[in-house]
Amino acid sequence: MSDPKIEGFDLKPGFSGMAKDTASDQTMFKGVHWGKAMMWIFLLSDTFIFSCFLISYMKGRGSTMVEWPNASEVFGLHVFGVDVPLLLIAIMTFVLITSSGTMALAVKYGYERNKKMCGWLILATAIGGLTFVGMQAFEWSKLIHEGVRPWENPFGAPQFGSFFFMITGFHGTHVTFGVIFLFIYAYKTFAGHYDEGKRGWFTTMKGDYVEIEILGLYWHFVDLVWVFIFAFFYLW
Amino acid sequence: MNNNNEKEQQSTTHKIGIYLWIWGLLFVLSFFSYMVDWYQFQGMLRWSLILFFMFLKAGLIMAFFMHLFWERYALVNVLLWPMTAIACFIFLMVSEFKYTVFTRFFYFVVGG
Amino acid sequence: MSDEYENKTGYQAQSSESITSSSIGSGVATDIDYVRPAENAEQDLYHGHSFITKWIFCQDAKVIGVQYFLLATFTGVIGLVLSWLMRLQLGFPGAAGFMTAEHYYQFVTMHGMIMVVYFLTALFLGGFGNYLIPLMVGARDMVFPYLNMVSFWSFFVAVAVLLASFFVPGGPTGSGWTLYPPQAILEGTPGSGMGIILMCVSLILFVAGFTMGGLNYLITILQARTRGMTLMRMPLTVWGIFTATVLAMLAFPALLVGSLMMMLDKLLATSFFMPTILKAGEILEYGGGSPILFQHLFWFFGHPEVYIVALPAFGIVSDLISVHSRKNIFGYRMMVWAIVGIGALSFFVWAHHMYVSGMNPWFGFFFATTTLIIAVPTAMKVYNWILTLWRGNIRLNVVMLWCLGFIVTFVNGGITGIFLGNVSVDVPLSDTYFVVAHFHMVMGIAPLMVIMGAVYHWFPLVAGRFLNETLGKWHFWLTFLGAYSIYFPMHYLGFIGVPRRYFEMYDSPYMTSAVGMNEFISTAAFIVGAAQFILIFNIIKTLKTGKPAGHNPWQANSLEWLTPSVPPEHGNWGEKLPVVHRWPYDFSVPGSREDFITQTTPPSDVKDSKVEKT
Repeated sequence: MSDPKIEGFDLKPGFSGMAKDTASDQTMFKGVHWGKAMMWIFLLSDTFIFSCFLISYMKGRGSTMVEWPNASEVFGLHVFGVDVPLLLIAIMTFVLITSSGTMALAVKYGYERNKKMCGWLILATAIGGLTFVGMQAFEWSKLIHEGVRPWENPFGAPQFGSFFFMITGFHGTHVTFGVIFLFIYAYKTFAGHYDEGKRGWFTTMKGDYVEIEILGLYWHFVDLVWVFIFAFFYLW
Repeated sequence: MNNNNEKEQQSTTHKIGIYLWIWGLLFVLSFFSYMVDWYQFQGMLRWSLILFFMFLKAGLIMAFFMHLFWERYALVNVLLWPMTAIACFIFLMVSEFKYTVFTRFFYFVVGG
Repeated sequence: MSDEYENKTGYQAQSSESITSSSIGSGVATDIDYVRPAENAEQDLYHGHSFITKWIFCQDAKVIGVQYFLLATFTGVIGLVLSWLMRLQLGFPGAAGFMTAEHYYQFVTMHGMIMVVYFLTALFLGGFGNYLIPLMVGARDMVFPYLNMVSFWSFFVAVAVLLASFFVPGGPTGSGWTLYPPQAILEGTPGSGMGIILMCVSLILFVAGFTMGGLNYLITILQARTRGMTLMRMPLTVWGIFTATVLAMLAFPALLVGSLMMMLDKLLATSFFMPTILKAGEILEYGGGSPILFQHLFWFFGHPEVYIVALPAFGIVSDLISVHSRKNIFGYRMMVWAIVGIGALSFFVWAHHMYVSGMNPWFGFFFATTTLIIAVPTAMKVYNWILTLWRGNIRLNVVMLWCLGFIVTFVNGGITGIFLGNVSVDVPLSDTYFVVAHFHMVMGIAPLMVIMGAVYHWFPLVAGRFLNETLGKWHFWLTFLGAYSIYFPMHYLGFIGVPRRYFEMYDSPYMTSAVGMNEFISTAAFIVGAAQFILIFNIIKTLKTGKPAGHNPWQANSLEWLTPSVPPEHGNWGEKLPVVHRWPYDFSVPGSREDFITQTTPPSDVKDSKVEKT
């Protein structure tokens, strides 16, 4: 997160620091926890997965001869006698960004060893995520009700439904896993596992608040992907 | 497991203000990108605005919520350079779908 | 005395850290040996107690490596048997009575997929990676041992699912290892029902399992090296495996996405890859999809996959050549940058597999250019291997024979690669036996030779006994000469236009011109395949009666040979982690007492050679 102090090693900023870190022994990412480095590399790999999905979507949408449905209308909501475009999506975005913010604060309070704040904020994040998944389920059922299927839809190109269900489904799976882990981590925080340095269930590593940051990275990544899906799928 | 000295970490967490600022900015930017749809901008203006807000939001999340702004360059560069492969993939697939549409139009509509 | 040597040879042992006095041995040993204190705390390990936790669900990277090795070899043997059956049909049509065209296509597909993904990738990264990485960088184990175990068992399930497809109705998929839609999932292709679904499921499991393993390899190399072990002091084996793992982490996502979308096309009748298709006058339910998208996704994975197999081979062979010619590797830094450069470039060349696919024709310019650029770092590596051998004190043992065999084979396969990288040459040659010869030479036989060399080299470490040299020489010569007998004639077959993937040649002109050659190739293939069992026999024999190897039998420098016990125990290093003072290639250093200086030898122990401050 911020520059650590390392005995016998002079940390330099910028590119010269990068060269020195890379050339040094033992570690390349100075002061970065193993789990955090792993999460970053995993997210890099996951980025490639979502990129491949979105690139496929671009290629599929671009090369179809049938007209693509107007997302603004398809995802519109009829509230109080008014047609509001993308209302549900806007709320979902709002919820996800809210939960991202609470997660960021949870990480901060975790590092300050503020167990209570950290735990409640993680719980708030988890509830935000759960709300998001619930709204996505609502959105899916609404579309299915309107006749959108992975193999066809009444609005235009059949690929619309295919890509929509696949990509949002894959993202929703990520959110769901995130929510499960958030609840587990909220429990572990309240139980004080990170204060005591209690070992995890499947590892000999000692618990530490850095795990909150690792989970936070994952959660922010889910939010990050949503930014791209929102732009490419709903607005484009 | 790592030697991270918690005491050091503790003293260097960031002020809460920065997170709240970024949080607020994300809401504002999301609202702006929603407005792009609300006002039904079309054409280049729509796309450039969508992309602009998207990259700004993504950048803010990565830089501050994911702490990349404070990370050392060794990590940042390892994470960002592989994106050139994705950029190349996107660039080539754009010209590929144009070509596919061209051939489909040429053979199915025009008739060869 | 030291001055004499310095000035005459200009050679410097690469060693560590601060030198306060220009003459060594003048009583400032503490300064000379200074290596920074440890950054990482000692790793706690889970030690298994029962048979199950020790040998089956084991968290020791070395055991996991051996597990990977055995399972990959098992699938490799299945792939070998499939290739026998294919060659039987091609050389002697009708000789195997049960063999129908459907069977032939299924065997081609499974042979390809097994050999590339489940054999070579798993063997190099899972097998050698797990065994060697922690030992070579001086770690106690992989950083996430539990995840590492799950990685192997995911691979196990992936293999089980893959092999299960032999027993489902319709059999395994027969769409070629590239699995191109639309034919992969349309009726009429063998195994278009359960076969292709199980193939996709198996690939997804493999990718998931590999991701867990790959994260382990990368973080172990980047974050858990021992004191004094800089990236530029790692053996090239580790560099090769490292870069290959990076490629795998970034390339497998494309395969995962492609498999998932193909599965949805099959199961839910989506049309990601399926265009409008007219079959027997009827329009199928599919429509509007893009088959070429799958090809792009597949090869965005597929080309890096070639280097996922090749780069560990490059790395390992560099180490073997250096040790067995008693010379430092020529141009170590150049070798490292070549590995990294090849890895980076491999993401920008994928569509050279698709010149005849009907993609945007302009792509030919881009991809031919980038493809030919890759020849530069690759050629650099070949020169460096040869220059390492040059005037070396070569031990012409079995390991060295495999290395020499590799260099020759790799140059052969590489040169035909330059042919195929050019659009105008590729167009007439693609889908002929020339292509088959090319990729078998460059990514089949060549990496296989390195694997064999590596087995003979590291077996004394893993099992504590030397493999039998005489049997090894029989194994080598039969394999080497046999492999050339198989693949050299195939180039000619390609030039006369014999198409690949054909069940038989029917009434074509190739029937007469190629028949004798096909018989010859098939006979050679049977012999080469059988020769591989010499190794299995050798291993079984050695485990019982082999000559004990003892510590560091090859007089190598790298850390894996310097463990307190042979074979190394769980935790690798006993009480104290090793401290590294130099690169692993200090062989035949002028003025040193022996012809090798191990990585852990402190500068104060090395008389008469100048130490470089790093």
